[in-house]
Amino acid sequence: MTLVTETPAPSSGPSAAPAQARPRRRGAPPWLVWVGYAALAAQLVAFSLLSPVFPTASNAVTVLTQGAVLAIAGFGMAVVLITGGDDVLRGGIDLSTGAVVGLSGVVAAVLTAAGTSAVVALPVALLVALVVGAVNAAAVVLGVRPLLATLASGAVASSVTLVLTQNVKVPVSGGVFGWLRDGSVVGLPASVVVLAVVFAVTATAVGATRWGVRAYAAGQNPVAAAVAGVPVQRYVATSYLVSALLAGLAGLLLTARLSAGVPGVGDQLLLDVILTASMSVVFSRRLVVTIPGTLVSALFVAALTNGFTLVNVGSQWVGAVKGVLILLVVAVAAVRERSVQR
Amino acid sequence: MTATTERPAGGAAPAGARPGAERHRKRLRPAQLLAPLSLAAIVVTFGVLSENFLTGSNLQVVLASSALLALAAVAMTVVVRAGGIDLSVGVAVDLGAYGAAALVAAGYVPWVAVVGGLLCALVVGAVNAVLVTVVGIRPFLATLAVWLIGSSAQQLLTGGGAPIYLSRGETPDGFRVLGGGQVLGLDVPVAAALVGALVVAAVLGGTVWGRVLTAAGDQPSATRIAGGAAGSTVASAYLLAALVAGLAGVLLASKSSGFVPFSGQLYVLDAIGAVFIGATLSRTGRTSVVGSLVGVLIFTLLSNGMNLVALSAFWQDLARGLVLLAVLVAAAVLARRAR
Repeated sequence: MTLVTETPAPSSGPSAAPAQARPRRRGAPPWLVWVGYAALAAQLVAFSLLSPVFPTASNAVTVLTQGAVLAIAGFGMAVVLITGGDDVLRGGIDLSTGAVVGLSGVVAAVLTAAGTSAVVALPVALLVALVVGAVNAAAVVLGVRPLLATLASGAVASSVTLVLTQNVKVPVSGGVFGWLRDGSVVGLPASVVVLAVVFAVTATAVGATRWGVRAYAAGQNPVAAAVAGVPVQRYVATSYLVSALLAGLAGLLLTARLSAGVPGVGDQLLLDVILTASMSVVFSRRLVVTIPGTLVSALFVAALTNGFTLVNVGSQWVGAVKGVLILLVVAVAAVRERSVQR
Repeated sequence: MTATTERPAGGAAPAGARPGAERHRKRLRPAQLLAPLSLAAIVVTFGVLSENFLTGSNLQVVLASSALLALAAVAMTVVVRAGGIDLSVGVAVDLGAYGAAALVAAGYVPWVAVVGGLLCALVVGAVNAVLVTVVGIRPFLATLAVWLIGSSAQQLLTGGGAPIYLSRGETPDGFRVLGGGQVLGLDVPVAAALVGALVVAAVLGGTVWGRVLTAAGDQPSATRIAGGAAGSTVASAYLLAALVAGLAGVLLASKSSGFVPFSGQLYVLDAIGAVFIGATLSRTGRTSVVGSLVGVLIFTLLSNGMNLVALSAFWQDLARGLVLLAVLVAAAVLARRAR
């Protein structure tokens, strides 16, 4: 994983230097790159054949809406994975994501139900999410392993959710939530528009700015990055704030979609978010976590859940399929990684 | 994976060459006192708040309720010592309980049920071992996947998550005694947890296998170069962990007279928390069985005390999370200052 940044862009000049003995191309063997996309295509074709409802436009919108929450929270997780590196115990991971999704949704719902206007409720919810992110950032910078710091802060966040709601769902309707749920912008559902905007911003920030390049550097080789003048700790801290903010935003969308702040709903989301962000590796030729890859895998997971429901496969199979999926995906990545290192 | 992150923890090793290093090594670091002091603080606080807290019968209740978490934490200790993490420890507990309960319900004799339960749990360990050491998947993702698959498997095995109940009449006494009986004045689960912890501690601390395991956890490549069988040792760590977790599952099945799907998963996060609270006891941040047991006691005493002062369940979760966060941050700050 550490060496991949040296990859020469291989497609830049295929005809420029064919005469020399071509250096062995680093990165994944070409055919493997398409495995992820092939799996996605196979899934779409299979569900389309099995269910006439699956390939309709309205169902595509449903998948996109369901995928929006997952994708936005996944972008945050992806930023943490990118900046924190991939060591088992010390690498970046944000286990509080699910709890923050739940907390921010519930805070917004409780405030709205108490008569606060949305102009106040939504920023306050995002601010609460940022507080959790700040706690994560501070703990990680102080030297607590991310796994533990975010596990503990996640536990605190989900119990605050329970304390706030007494484990009863808080219904919301109309206003901003109604618009997020049913509104549309130039024919597209509001949540899809939010997803598109967040994707554009995050993908640009990670993929095309100095900040993004340095974040990758901090994650892949923190010592080298620090020597090269990257304030690694500051980047790591920022990544947890970004993750919490995006999780908070996803929580608002989720509350809008469910028309209620539902306690406990975020905790179920955590595994999907980890799956989504980790799976993005498969959609990247250099085997790194990417934002576009996260978007594709979020839609993959959302389509999977949606398709299983339409085909009438029992929900108990969904977990097994997701588990096998993670395994396949990370096994392919592990095999590819080995061929890179050799 | 990256070689950069494997710096020797704490700095005990590089100090070895300097004169006076011996004295330096012996000195206790403030961070090491954190877990025992937290434990003492919890005991004193609840001892003052509730007169029932420091009674013999209550302490017996604490021990009994900590036994299964202790076994899960011991299992987690082994894997973390080997440089991994095992999120599927709850699945191993569940499958152990399922195997035992299902076999008893089918009318098998107790020892067959126990062995069957342990074998079910070992399947989880074997899958983890193959995924981590043969395929080369990172432990976090591999065991996460096994967690998901294992949860599904439980639903499928029980027809959608229906619990198995063992009525008093059809359960042989030999099986019931595992959860409810007494040995030498101790509850059987407590005795089993003690024996399990002692055996694992002895194996980790006193055998070549344990030393190779520890080395493989700290420096995998160096261990391989030095001729240690890093791969097979790490694989056996996952098997041992699953076995210990499976034992917890069998005891759980006997204690709760049956199998409720997903009940083992409650132990995962507490076990991780306990193991890493326990790691603060070591000056190098290494996990140990004793440390994990201290972590387990902190969690159990806290829950027990909060029950006695009648704190609502929601606030209890909050308090547990805050205590975990506070201990971890304090340990990190103290370790930082000492460096």
